[in-house]
Amino acid sequence: MEYLIKAFSLLFGSDPELRQIIGVTLQMSFFSTTISSLFGIPLGILIGSSDFRGKKWVQRINNTLMGLPPVVAGLIVLLILSRSGPLGKLKLLYTVTAMVVAQVLLITPIITGLTATIVSIRAPQIRETAAGMGISPFKRMLYTAYDCRVQFVSTILAGFGRAIAEVGAVQIVGGNVQFKTRVMTTAIMLQTNMGHFEFAIALGLVLLIISFIINALVQKLSDGQAENA
Amino acid sequence: MITLIHVTKQYENRTILDVPRLTFESGKRYALIGVNGSGKTTLLRLIAGTLRPDSGKIENVPLQNMGYMPQSPYAFDFSVLKNVEIALQKTPQPAEKALAALEAVGLEKLAGARGNKLSGGETQRMAFARMIACPRALLLLDEPTSSMDIKGTDQIENQLLRYAVANECTVILSTHSPAQALRLAQEVVYLDQGKIVEQGSTEQVINHPRVESTRLFLQHWRL
Repeated sequence: MEYLIKAFSLLFGSDPELRQIIGVTLQMSFFSTTISSLFGIPLGILIGSSDFRGKKWVQRINNTLMGLPPVVAGLIVLLILSRSGPLGKLKLLYTVTAMVVAQVLLITPIITGLTATIVSIRAPQIRETAAGMGISPFKRMLYTAYDCRVQFVSTILAGFGRAIAEVGAVQIVGGNVQFKTRVMTTAIMLQTNMGHFEFAIALGLVLLIISFIINALVQKLSDGQAENA
Repeated sequence: MITLIHVTKQYENRTILDVPRLTFESGKRYALIGVNGSGKTTLLRLIAGTLRPDSGKIENVPLQNMGYMPQSPYAFDFSVLKNVEIALQKTPQPAEKALAALEAVGLEKLAGARGNKLSGGETQRMAFARMIACPRALLLLDEPTSSMDIKGTDQIENQLLRYAVANECTVILSTHSPAQALRLAQEVVYLDQGKIVEQGSTEQVINHPRVESTRLFLQHWRL
C-alpha cells in the first residue's frame, strides 16, 4: 500500500525528471508502435489473406523474429548506428530515434504475426466470396482489413505493451542518458542497481498504471466500435 | 461451351475429382447432385477458378462475366446494400441495381442492416442478390438454398429461373435435393466419389436412372 501511495504521488507529483522520463517513455512507445503498425498490419494482411509460394517460410522467419531477444535487436541497431557503422554519419546513437528504430525491429514481427493470424481465420471464406464477385485482390484485402479492424486494436495494444515494457534494446542504443533517453524501464533498472528498491518499485507501479490507463482507454474505444459494427 | 478435359484433383493423396470429359452448353441449366464428398463443390470451385486442377484443363469459362456463390458466402461488415453493391463495381448505377436485386430476393427492408448480423438464410439470399444484380454469362451456385426455409427457397428458385431465361445465362448449381434439380435444371450430373456416374436430362436421370448407384441415391430421396 505504501508503494502504491508513493507511486501515485510520483505520478501526479511535480518531479521534473520523472515527468521527463514518462514523456520520453510515451513518445518512444507511441512512435515505435505507430511505425511498426504501419509496416506490420499491411504485411500481416498480405501474409494472412494470400496464398503464395514460400508463404510458410515467410511465416517461419516472422515467427522466429517474434522471439528476437531485445538485446540482440539493440546490438544490431548499435552496430548500424555506431560511428564506424553504415549509418554512423547520422549520429543517431543514444537518441530517442535510435530507441524507436530498435523497438520497430522488435515490434513489427509481433504485429505482423498477430495480424496474419487474425486475417487467416476469415481469409478462405472471403477469398471464395470475393472471387465469385470478381473483386480484385487489392480491394479484397482492403475489405478484409476493414472487417478485422476491431481485432487489430488488440494487436496494436500488444505491440504497445511490448514497447513500453522493453528494456534491453533501449538500454543499449539509448544509453539511459539522464534528461535525454532515460525511460521508465531503464530508470527502474538504474534505481535497482543503486539499491533504491522502494523508488524502483514505485516507478514500476507508475509504469503499470500508465499502461493500464492506455489499455483501458483504447479498449473502451474498440468496444464502442465493436458494438456499432 | 464450357469443357473439362481429363481434370483431376487430389487432396492428401486421395483423388477427390476425376473427370475424363464434361461439357456444359451455353444458356442451359445444370444441377450437380450427389452425397457429401462426392465432388460437387470441388467441381464448381475448379470451374470458378478458385481451385486449380492437378491435371487436365478447363476451357471457355467466361471468368470476366461469371458469378460464383460459394457454399458459405461471406457477409462483410457493411450494410446489406453495400454488400451487394461491391459485386457491381464495373456497372453503372450500382446502388439502384443492388436495391433492385435485394427487392427480388425479399431483403429490401434489411438494406440498411449490417451484413454480418444476418441469419444464415438471409446471408444466402443476400449472396444470391449479388449474383443476379447484373447480367452474367455464367452462374455457379453451390447449394444456394441450403440454409433457407421453404418460402425463401421458392422465391430464390423463381428468381433464378426468371434471371437465367432473361439473360440466357448458363447455370451450374449443386444441390442435395433431387426435387430442386427437377424444378431448376434441364440437365443433371450425378457424382459419386469424385466420378461422374450418370448424366443426362433431368427427367431421365431423376425418374429413370440407368445406373445402380444413382438409383440407390434417389431411393433415399423417394423414401
